[in-house]
Amino acid sequence: MTHTLHRRGTDESLKNDYVLLVTAASGINHVGSLDKLRKVLEVIWEVGPANVGSQHLGTILQGYSLEEIKAALNEVPRIRCAFSSKEKVREIIRRLKELDLGISVTVEGPTTDIVEMSNEMEIKPHSVNLSLDIWGKKEDLPSEEILEFVTMCGHGLVSQYLVKEVTEDVKNGKKTPEKAAVEIGIPCVCGIYNPDRAIELLQKYVPQK
Amino acid sequence: MLVDQEKCIGCGVCVPYCPAAAISVVDEKASIDQEACLECGNCFRNDVVPCPTEAFYEKPGIYEEPRGIRRFFSDPTTTHSVTKVPGRGTEEVKTNDVTGRICRGEIGVAVELGRPCLGTSMTEFEKMTTALAAIGVVFEEANPLTQLLIDKKKGIIDPKYKNEKLVSAIVEFSAPIERLTKIMETIKEAAKSLDTVFSLDLICCFEADGTLPVLPVLQNMGIKPRVNSKVNLGLGRPYKIIRQPQEV
Ligand code: SF4
Ligand code: SF4
Repeated sequence: MTHTLHRRGTDESLKNDYVLLVTAASGINHVGSLDKLRKVLEVIWEVGPANVGSQHLGTILQGYSLEEIKAALNEVPRIRCAFSSKEKVREIIRRLKELDLGISVTVEGPTTDIVEMSNEMEIKPHSVNLSLDIWGKKEDLPSEEILEFVTMCGHGLVSQYLVKEVTEDVKNGKKTPEKAAVEIGIPCVCGIYNPDRAIELLQKYVPQK
Repeated sequence: MLVDQEKCIGCGVCVPYCPAAAISVVDEKASIDQEACLECGNCFRNDVVPCPTEAFYEKPGIYEEPRGIRRFFSDPTTTHSVTKVPGRGTEEVKTNDVTGRICRGEIGVAVELGRPCLGTSMTEFEKMTTALAAIGVVFEEANPLTQLLIDKKKGIIDPKYKNEKLVSAIVEFSAPIERLTKIMETIKEAAKSLDTVFSLDLICCFEADGTLPVLPVLQNMGIKPRVNSKVNLGLGRPYKIIRQPQEV
């Protein structure tokens, strides 16, 4: 599904928010892909992701280790992880191109930056999934500030009520942005929630001394 | 989902974690509004909700029809037994370089009802499927929700699922690029009668010169894609971007 799309926020706050997806296509190239994807996870780990997970197990934010996540990959393996810098994404694309595994690589993030990085590496992107925004009864939605956190989990598991409660705790000085960012992200079971971006978003709530 | 009343100590820790606001604590005991619960599984995951007594348990029959669709479509950690297809939708753009599901000259559309935050009933889903079916849209067979339609030509949902609510439900289809304007107009019109929101996706292949042919069409309609998107880099093999005439 489309769970990594539709992350909301200003251009500024989205500029260092990327999701990397490496996915074997069932019935076409999934046979023998398990070891390839385990290798990809190792490369991702070396580059330094903000979050990694597997929806069959959980994420590093929930306390699972890379080895546990690697072991949990199934026969049609898929990797989902978040990165917090364009430079790291550039490096991961470079290394994935070099590995030439023949497995689909999709990057969510600012479109022009992804296309520009691809061009630099003589990669011709195949296709794009554009977000045409939210439609319908928008008046029932919470504020954009809340949506910025909620939409980092595309499966809808980060509750707006949890975001409200935890941001209140930051405002009252009961929690640091670092602690709050992890607490909000724990329900995202596949690892695309970006805690680094959440910390940045939460800084504005820290009471001034 | 249910709360074991013997175990619950009424601490309220679980309450904010529920995206459907279905949990409340009354007289120092938590309980779940079964109509509102989308069976997303959040509260049941001990590594997510730190319930001190592990009081949540799955309702007997939770995986059976018709309520089972709440569980299978709302909880990304489950694998369907109702539809036999995993996930809420297809792999859409994620493996498109290999599957060639959307080739040049085509568009892929996903209307994800209920996302973000509000959730959706299957009745809302049917408002969209009937509107799109009326203009001849053919729904994606590999999308598990398509399997819940009893009349795919009219977009009618099997009545036994009508009272079910989900975190989100994706109407998914592909079409020739020439139909983009008509499809967007139809979606825009159907949006007016909805009691929920939807997030809208549009998939398209890059042309050989790197341009995206949908952009001028969208601009004409006053629709501006958001700054962030999902780009398939085309590193998968076998690679497919042109549909052969005999496949159409
Ligand atoms: S299963 Fe999900 S929707 Fe139902 S009570 Fe638990 S958290 Fe809320
Ligand atoms: S967290 Fe557990 S013990 Fe506390 S109110 Fe919820 S169900 Fe009851």
